[in-house]
Amino acid sequence: MKEIISLTKLFINESLGFSLFFYNQKFNKKEFYKQLFTLIIVPVALIPAFFMYVSLMSATYFGLTMINQTSVFLSIGYIMATVLIIVFGVMYILSEFYFSDNIEELIPLPINQRKLIVAKFLSILVFEYIFTAFIFLPILIIYGVGQGMGLLYVLLSFLVFLTIPVLPLSLITALIMLMMQSASLKGRKDMLQIVFVFIGIAIIFGVQIWFTSQLGSGDEADFQLLMNTMLTNNESFLNIIGYIIPTSFLMAWTLNKITLMSFAWVGALLGITLLSGALMVAIGERVYIKSIVSGQITKKSKKLSGAERSKALGKKSHGAMAVFTMDLRLLLRTPVYFFNNVSIVIIAPLCIWISFAFIEIPPEDLQGMQEFFRGMPILINFLLIAFFVFFGGTSATTATTFSREGKASWLTRMIPVTARDQIVGRTGVAMLIQSLGIFFTIIAIQFIFPLTLSTLLLTVVLGILGSLPILLFGLFMDMNRPLLNWDNPQKAIKNNMNVVITLFVGMAYTGLLIGFSGLLGYFVNSLLGYGVFLLISIGISVVFYRVISNRLETEFLNFE
Amino acid sequence: MLKLEHVSKTYGNKNEKAVDDISFDVYPGEIFGFVGPNGAGKTTTIKMIVSLLAPNSGKITINGIDNQHDILGAKKQFSYVPDNPELFEKIKGIEYLKFMADVYQVAATERQERIEQYLDIFEIKDAVNDPIGSFSHGMKQKLALVGALIHDPQVFILDEPMVGLDPKASFELKKIMRNHCDRGRSVFFSTHVLDVAEKICDRIAIIKKGRIIEVGTMAEIREKAGSQESLENIFLELTE
Ligand SMILES: Nc1ncnc2c1ncn2[C@@H]1O[C@H](COP(=O)(O)OP(=O)(O)OP(=O)(O)O)[C@@H](O)[C@H]1O
Ligand SMILES: [Mg+2]
Repeated sequence: MKEIISLTKLFINESLGFSLFFYNQKFNKKEFYKQLFTLIIVPVALIPAFFMYVSLMSATYFGLTMINQTSVFLSIGYIMATVLIIVFGVMYILSEFYFSDNIEELIPLPINQRKLIVAKFLSILVFEYIFTAFIFLPILIIYGVGQGMGLLYVLLSFLVFLTIPVLPLSLITALIMLMMQSASLKGRKDMLQIVFVFIGIAIIFGVQIWFTSQLGSGDEADFQLLMNTMLTNNESFLNIIGYIIPTSFLMAWTLNKITLMSFAWVGALLGITLLSGALMVAIGERVYIKSIVSGQITKKSKKLSGAERSKALGKKSHGAMAVFTMDLRLLLRTPVYFFNNVSIVIIAPLCIWISFAFIEIPPEDLQGMQEFFRGMPILINFLLIAFFVFFGGTSATTATTFSREGKASWLTRMIPVTARDQIVGRTGVAMLIQSLGIFFTIIAIQFIFPLTLSTLLLTVVLGILGSLPILLFGLFMDMNRPLLNWDNPQKAIKNNMNVVITLFVGMAYTGLLIGFSGLLGYFVNSLLGYGVFLLISIGISVVFYRVISNRLETEFLNFE
Repeated sequence: MLKLEHVSKTYGNKNEKAVDDISFDVYPGEIFGFVGPNGAGKTTTIKMIVSLLAPNSGKITINGIDNQHDILGAKKQFSYVPDNPELFEKIKGIEYLKFMADVYQVAATERQERIEQYLDIFEIKDAVNDPIGSFSHGMKQKLALVGALIHDPQVFILDEPMVGLDPKASFELKKIMRNHCDRGRSVFFSTHVLDVAEKICDRIAIIKKGRIIEVGTMAEIREKAGSQESLENIFLELTE
């Protein structure tokens, strides 16, 4: 037991980087304060979102009271929590069990396999409990207060709470372990990770599409109507998911009304949870270490002939081009990077397309909308520009460009590449990805809303130029505080404050700029609106470009 | 060729200096060895030379260029292979070499000639189309060496080059180092392998706790120590 606890601590410590934190506290005060700031600012930034969530849930509860259906409230919360745990859990599980380096160091030590698996699982579970607390505790409290529940409810809901993340996590872990060991997947860890994550997204999409289609034909999303459809429909959402997640029934039976039977149900819930954990450990013992030991194969390519080598080496190409190519390759070939920075440009246009496809707009309405657009092009134009800027700003590609290189960044800092080439190459990658997003969006929109060539030209040019300041701001952030000391590429992005900061600053900036120049364009003169937008974008870009190109070489000296 | 003047470095707000007032010269055509116990400050010194770390004080000139005034110009004068070269795992060997040739602006024919030659010497021709992630430690080191030799640098800087190389490769590397210096260029490397230092270095500096305690040819160091002992014995005495 002691061993398991100390291993769990070790894993948690590793994924949070606590040792470096305390080392910095002693020896590197500047770094320490940066990290402390991060530790404080992230929770603070999430507070508004949390309040919104709590008020949304309270509203849902009152909505349900009005139609006398409070009994589904807990189930909704339970299912939601489970789905979210699964979606986020996949990433955690993959990175803790398969993508972290510590396992290779631990295998040779005389540690019982079972303890290793349990400890890894527990280290994920700790985070999932915190996550579940934020999602599910408000729901338990709202329901408990609303129904005037007593002490027994508190006790029982505590027991239920303990079971919530364990079941989905152990089943998913077992599933992943089985898939990872199947021989055909060996040497393709990277692909597998992408596949898993996309499956997760597909689930979310499926649920959303289902909701949309339940709403009928795009009328106002009347909450009561939605609930009524859901509850009167025999194959309702809750039932379908309820059969997939049967424990949601046990949970509902336990907590909806406290009776003597509640204790039996909660007992059953605890039993099933323990069983699922045991199943996971049993499967893990069979396959986990084995697949780690035998699965470290990267696919080899074919050998090159002399002529092929000299073709691959090619001619002299520009320094900016070399940086661009390298950055792009890393982005596309590392699954986590691809998922975080590139997939959005496919998913977002897909979202638009799907929502258009499912919401049937009557032809006369569509015509009305098109006429409205013709009458007021500036509104739609700025809307499009905002959306295009969104691709550049929110993927935060430049905000992790140095961080993504991790311990190999010594190379970037050692080679004689001018600051200009670094900026152009790295910003170019972000722009390329943004352009892809813009391209897909235009295709998606074109189905419903044919745009004229001049509109396209105007919005694309302004959209790209408008995001340039955000791209350069991201680069500026990453130049000042890169996150290089990671053992798992996921951390370069997930633990990186630059992403959050660039995201918030980028969104606020975009909102202000679009609002300001949009108003100018609407009330004064449309040309003035576009002109101001263009001038401000170019002006800020030039300033950032100057600052970065003056500082970059010196900042490279401070990276470690 | 490479000149350090009163260079000092302290990490973070530690009290101890990792490198303390170091000065030495590496002349053209010279293999210069840098030896010292673990934690003596060898890697720290090298990182300051190759612009990965900023010294707290002092001046470093490479081929006449001050690396704090003209960072980029200084960077063009050397190439560097770290003790444990971490390279981009997802990039293929050949893509890495092309990248290096591009950033040092090596012309097409030269890059091909040199790469073919060094790939042969280090026997990694067959692996060069694989992602670096699939390379062994020694193969990575060899690839980094080939990448560093592409532009035929004025100063060739290596941190612990012999560790991890097989006997054939380290023999070849010594030949390459010699050949490099015979053409009037310089090699600067740190090592723990005193036999190697004794055999191939024209001059040696011994560093201990951040300070240079001895610098000169083997003969000069022997003379000062007043003995005809091997470098190993002198080293053990000096670094006691
Ligand atoms: N990033 C760092 N942060 C803080 N201290 C460091 C750092 N890197 C090195 N040091 C300290 O600086 C001193 C010199 O380290 P350095 O790596 O230069 O030694 P070295 O001579 O290369 O040793 P070795 O032979 O083991 O490679 C040591 O005391 C070490 O603890
Ligand atoms: Mg060292």
